[in-house]
Amino acid sequence: MSTTIYRTLCGALGLGLLGLGLGLFAMFFQYHTPGSPPAEPIPVGPGGAYYQALAGCALVAWGGVLLGAARKPQAAPWIASVTACALVLNAFYRILAWLIGDYAFLGNLLRVEAAIMLLLALAFVWLKPRPLVGQPL
Amino acid sequence: MLIRWLATLIIAALLLLDLFIPSTSLGRRGTEQDTRREASQSVVRLGEPLPDLALLDLEGRPLDLDALRGHRVLLTFERSVDW
Repeated sequence: MSTTIYRTLCGALGLGLLGLGLGLFAMFFQYHTPGSPPAEPIPVGPGGAYYQALAGCALVAWGGVLLGAARKPQAAPWIASVTACALVLNAFYRILAWLIGDYAFLGNLLRVEAAIMLLLALAFVWLKPRPLVGQPL
Repeated sequence: MLIRWLATLIIAALLLLDLFIPSTSLGRRGTEQDTRREASQSVVRLGEPLPDLALLDLEGRPLDLDALRGHRVLLTFERSVDW
């Protein structure tokens, strides 16, 4: 049962991150298209577009790894650990960003995102599969 | 198992922090409401002289608006950080 939930979680999150990554990557080209409107809700400059593309590529890799974990969860249980760590780091900087106050225009979005990420991290901590020992993967 | 519980403890602490952070931002810039309230007290109306401003120019030298009296002055405000 827990393996099924873990696989569903990995698959859904993997697809989501893959889509988000591709979207961020595409925004780099959107920014450099002459006459294109500024991105919403945060208009970016050349530096922002560069780092959006960089983050997009990293998210594609992360999403791909999670999709791999959804296919063969016991082949690489460490994916659950590193995903939980990354989610906690994501939540942590969102909490700090909220405190700093520069992102007040985003309302409660940062806090809601942080809460969702922490709950997902908790799920990854407790649903982490046991590695297969002595069996072909 | 110990690491699992330790991770849970850290996540739960962050979750509590996230849920119970005051609903207003605590940054040095304060909330938008604060800024609007302060701006309404210090706003300069059209036709009124500007209050004396002491600023630093791009080279870090002090610049007093009073020293520019009699000249046409264009003041612009923009973010200094490019996203």
